[in-house]
Amino acid sequence: MSSPALEVRRLSVSYGRRPVLWDVDATFPAGGLSAIVGPNGAGKSTLLKAALGLVPSDSGQALVLGRPARSALDSVAYVPQREAVDWDFPATVREVVEMGRYRSAGWLRRLRRSDRAIVDEAIERVGMAPFAKRQIGRLSGGQRQRVFLARALAQEAPVLLMDEPFAGVDARTEAALVGLLADLRDGGRSVVVVHHDLGTVRRAFEWALVLNVRTVACGPVEEVIVPATLAKAYGAGTGDDSDEEEELAWTA
Amino acid sequence: MDGLIELVPLPYTDAVVALGALVLGVVSGVLGTLAVLRERSLVGDALSHAALPGVCLAFLFTGAKDPAALLAGAACAGLVAAACMVGIERGGRIRADAAIGVVLSSAFSVGIVLLTAIQNRPDADQAGLDRYLFGQAAGLSADDVLVTGLIGLAGLTLVAVGFRALKTTLFDPAFAAAAGLRVRALELGMTALLVIAVLVGIRMVGAILMVAMLVAPGVAARQLADRLVTLLPLAGAIGAAVGVTGALLSSSAHVPTGPVIALVAFAVVAAALAFSPGRGVVWRAMRLTHDRRRALADGVLVDLETALHAGPPPTVAELRALTARPSRELRRGLRLLRGAGLVDRAGDRLLLTEAGAEAAGAQLARRDDWSLWLEHGARLELPDAREPDPRDLAGSIGADAVARLRALA
Repeated sequence: MSSPALEVRRLSVSYGRRPVLWDVDATFPAGGLSAIVGPNGAGKSTLLKAALGLVPSDSGQALVLGRPARSALDSVAYVPQREAVDWDFPATVREVVEMGRYRSAGWLRRLRRSDRAIVDEAIERVGMAPFAKRQIGRLSGGQRQRVFLARALAQEAPVLLMDEPFAGVDARTEAALVGLLADLRDGGRSVVVVHHDLGTVRRAFEWALVLNVRTVACGPVEEVIVPATLAKAYGAGTGDDSDEEEELAWTA
Repeated sequence: MDGLIELVPLPYTDAVVALGALVLGVVSGVLGTLAVLRERSLVGDALSHAALPGVCLAFLFTGAKDPAALLAGAACAGLVAAACMVGIERGGRIRADAAIGVVLSSAFSVGIVLLTAIQNRPDADQAGLDRYLFGQAAGLSADDVLVTGLIGLAGLTLVAVGFRALKTTLFDPAFAAAAGLRVRALELGMTALLVIAVLVGIRMVGAILMVAMLVAPGVAARQLADRLVTLLPLAGAIGAAVGVTGALLSSSAHVPTGPVIALVAFAVVAAALAFSPGRGVVWRAMRLTHDRRRALADGVLVDLETALHAGPPPTVAELRALTARPSRELRRGLRLLRGAGLVDRAGDRLLLTEAGAEAAGAQLARRDDWSLWLEHGARLELPDAREPDPRDLAGSIGADAVARLRALA
């Protein structure tokens, strides 16, 4: 059996003295479309960041395709939350997507013709070809998310880790992006998405981690997205329960 | 060096000043812009204030005003200040702006105390150190220009070589780190580049106002350039223009150079903020006025068309009763429409001209398109990421998509 796309073992992270992740174990299968779900403050985004070493962890280990994550970064395309960057930054759509090629082309080198072809294809694939030369500040939220996905596609990494790609995105874009992710999965890549909409997770994803500081459940969607685990994850609250009722409505 | 100076069509001393200001402007324009994009403009301010005690200490140790030694002192002090800011911010759980404030004020007070102590000494060597406060272009030597030129060139070369890594880190540090870049080291490197810019500028602009040359070129250039690869050279060019203008003005008027350069920089920034196409305040205001007028005229046009469709040509009062628009707004809309030749009057009755009828028809068709989109758009496959604009559906998603939408309905 092949190594899982992403595996975390006994991962603990705390901000200040409060644990955000506490001895979390989780496995995401290779060649699968997986979701990380849980209430606000459950540590979903932190799990991805800590796995990649972007935030320091207290203890634990993360493996990408069986290798320690820090030495397997070339197998990972990470898509941060859209709000994490300043979209007024002076760059065009194409330039942002080109960033996905810098690592494999060499940070100090010019992009080769083959790199530029990959960039073109990634832009085309997310439907942003008509906007390739546009400054990124003049894009809608959905279009910005497409740009981020195109940059990840340009990395040609076997594992995609995406942080809340569908937050604040219109239904049409979400459907298009989910379709694209399914295509990637069918092409043999592994996708792990932090997501808040349990409805989409049920429909489109096959594997899920239900997280609330600790692992509540991790496994095939039909086994873990069930009232019992969701009540455990969402029911007691984490002290930050602004979206809780809305999310519970999806579990009905 | 002298050959280069002779190329400038100015008297020798002015030519030296102009060349020095050119170096200063290009270097601080480019390197300062990196700080502006990182939202660390005031780090440059703190570093330049911190350079002052470095200059004083270097003078106390060497006892001479050798430019290279003084700059080395400034560089050491700048790096210490940078380390302090990072240390206070990371270790003391204090925000960046507060850390900057603490370092800036304490370093500058040390500098002022040292400067006063030096000036109270009996020897004559110390005369002129106070130019590091407000800057002085006059009296710049060819050696000064050469030293700063070499330092600046080193800084610009680093930016050119590391351009892609810097761009990626500036835009999206989390992505950059996940792609294997050492983001912390790069951010420290960018702070070190800022120290270089301060070294190049402090003799001419002075510690207090150096920040103007670090921030203004980038701010002005951002109004005109949408890509980093054009923004940096443009910031360099604007910095050069500001620096040369300010330096020559100040050396001919015998005023400290820092304030003059800062004033010139302010004028350039103000002009760019006001008039730049696309982003400038004036441009945006004109655009807004135009859009509002158009929306009003389109609305009144449709009102009139509807009224004409329902009955005989209305008077202004009748139209107002039909539309519930405030009277001033309605009159303004009608004035715009008559000016555009779309509405005519027969006595006190309102009529559409031929062009007006056509425009009203087109306007109604666009509204119908939007209703159609709301009703059937969800079933319409769009080939790419184009998104619908209610005012102009065909223009935003393509005439072909609108045709398929009509077929769906």
